[in-house]
Amino acid sequence: MIEKNFEGVSVRWVIALKGEAEEIIKNYAMKRVATTPFPVYKNKDLDMWLILSGIGQLNAVAATSYLYVKSDASYNTIWINFGIVGSRNFKVGDLIQIDKITSSDFQDNYYPSPSAFKNNNIERCNLITVNKPEKLFENDGAYDMEGYGFFSFAKKIAPYELVSVLKIISDAPGTDLSKVDKHRVEILVSKKIQFIEKVLENLLDLQKILFLQLRDPKYFDEICLQKKFTFSQKVTLRKYLTQWQARFPLRNPLEEIGQRMTASQILKKFSDNLLR
Amino acid sequence: MVDTIYAEDEIIGTKKAQEIISKFRHAKVTSIKRFGEVFNPSNQNFRIQKTNPALILAKKQKGFVLDAPKGFGIGDQNNYYFSHMYNCLYDCSYCFLQGMYNSANYLVFVNFHDYQNEIEKTIKKHKEKKMTFFTGYDCDSLAMEPITNFINDFVPFFSRYKKALFEIRTKSINNTVFRKHDPLANCIVAYSLMPEALAQILDKKAPSVSARIKNMKYLANKGWRIGLRFDPLIYCSNWKAQYADLFANIFKEIKEENIHSVSLGSLRFPKSFFNKLLQYYPNSEELSFLRSNDKGIISYDQSIENEMNEYCRSELMKYSDARKFFSCG
Repeated sequence: MIEKNFEGVSVRWVIALKGEAEEIIKNYAMKRVATTPFPVYKNKDLDMWLILSGIGQLNAVAATSYLYVKSDASYNTIWINFGIVGSRNFKVGDLIQIDKITSSDFQDNYYPSPSAFKNNNIERCNLITVNKPEKLFENDGAYDMEGYGFFSFAKKIAPYELVSVLKIISDAPGTDLSKVDKHRVEILVSKKIQFIEKVLENLLDLQKILFLQLRDPKYFDEICLQKKFTFSQKVTLRKYLTQWQARFPLRNPLEEIGQRMTASQILKKFSDNLLR
Repeated sequence: MVDTIYAEDEIIGTKKAQEIISKFRHAKVTSIKRFGEVFNPSNQNFRIQKTNPALILAKKQKGFVLDAPKGFGIGDQNNYYFSHMYNCLYDCSYCFLQGMYNSANYLVFVNFHDYQNEIEKTIKKHKEKKMTFFTGYDCDSLAMEPITNFINDFVPFFSRYKKALFEIRTKSINNTVFRKHDPLANCIVAYSLMPEALAQILDKKAPSVSARIKNMKYLANKGWRIGLRFDPLIYCSNWKAQYADLFANIFKEIKEENIHSVSLGSLRFPKSFFNKLLQYYPNSEELSFLRSNDKGIISYDQSIENEMNEYCRSELMKYSDARKFFSCG
């Protein structure tokens, strides 16, 4: 389960249809917080949001960017595109994690980070994003209609390692697509929910590593409140305070600051102390 | 060890690529057009990738042999380096690769013959001059030997060019390959070393310093020539005693005549590399002594650098001929 008291938790789900999202919404106790232009759901206590993008790459990109802004997602946010796919080489009901994404429209390929696959024993597969439902399945892999668009945008707003595409096989060659209805999809997802949780837990572990890398050093906010620092001075202050913490863990840098000192005098004081 | 392999379409069918792939029976192999698709994207996090690095097999297209930086060398007029691999099995906190690359994945260029052709051309072009070819700066070649067979391929190659020195820079204690070949007079097995206590903190996943010394002794006794590389020198509270102990321990085990060269280098980074390192290791006391100089290079204060260099040189002179000493840049 998600560690609620860890301040860095931040998760966004981008899912095309309600049927695909229903079990995730239930499992993570999310409630609807917006209806247009896209339905958006949110967990009350956690920074976890879900958006229903609708079908297609354009919708996936639009919804991802909309959720990015609406939910004020930080750089250190996990982004997951989840949904159903068709494949000729997997069984209906299989959960797969995508390790290569190609598009019928674009030359570039994307490769979600293997860090996200570590120890989860979930089958890995390439994804081919197409513009209309696939019936021929000419190549091995999974066919969807959103993954490429989602990933092309999500990789710009979050680290590669936190962007994941997770799919469940819903159809194979010969499947009567009219029978792949909301109820059937919900059943497929519910059977795999514990594995989906596992993928998320792994991503949360990676997020923790990043959170610790990105957070400001101790006393940074207090010192910035006391004096006016320019942007580049803040960069230097951040660096000095990080070094200070490592070198003088028992010395409070606030005690080094005299009341009348300017920002540059404070930096000089820290620099002099750190020199030897 | 590796559960994901990316292989360029152009080389996936080559003998070398297949040889490497066959060593990872459980890895998922994914084909790629060019290694840059996986290795180069920005927005990747080196530290996270280091938790589960993938292996990328690719073809090097150009830049097989490069000039070594000015001032870098172990006595020869011309100095070159070449890298058949980027990134390392080990995880040393001060390693510049973390600042240099976006990715921690192991990238191996499998077209060894193209490297050998270029080295051959370079040797023939400057046949009057003495030259050294360095390897193991963008990776630890010996550590990855069981996978790549790089040294197994290059030792026989360099045996044909006696005037060209071949330096293998390493922390690995793998000596299998050196048992397979006769010692080569123009091959230096150069060990990166630092005091044990520091290595325990900083040289993560690398063999202990005592194990490295033991292996150096083994190789030296077999007839291989040894290089000692104290690069970087690391400043800490009792560095003098620690380095003095280290030197004493090395020369207690290894005869001076087996030492080809000794080099010392300071800890230095371009600013952008250092900022990344500080983000990765906010609690590192060792990084807390580093400062930016006027040229945008991060290093110890000049007085610290000088003191360390002078002290270490004078300590080393107790055991070895100063003519064997060189500076790493």
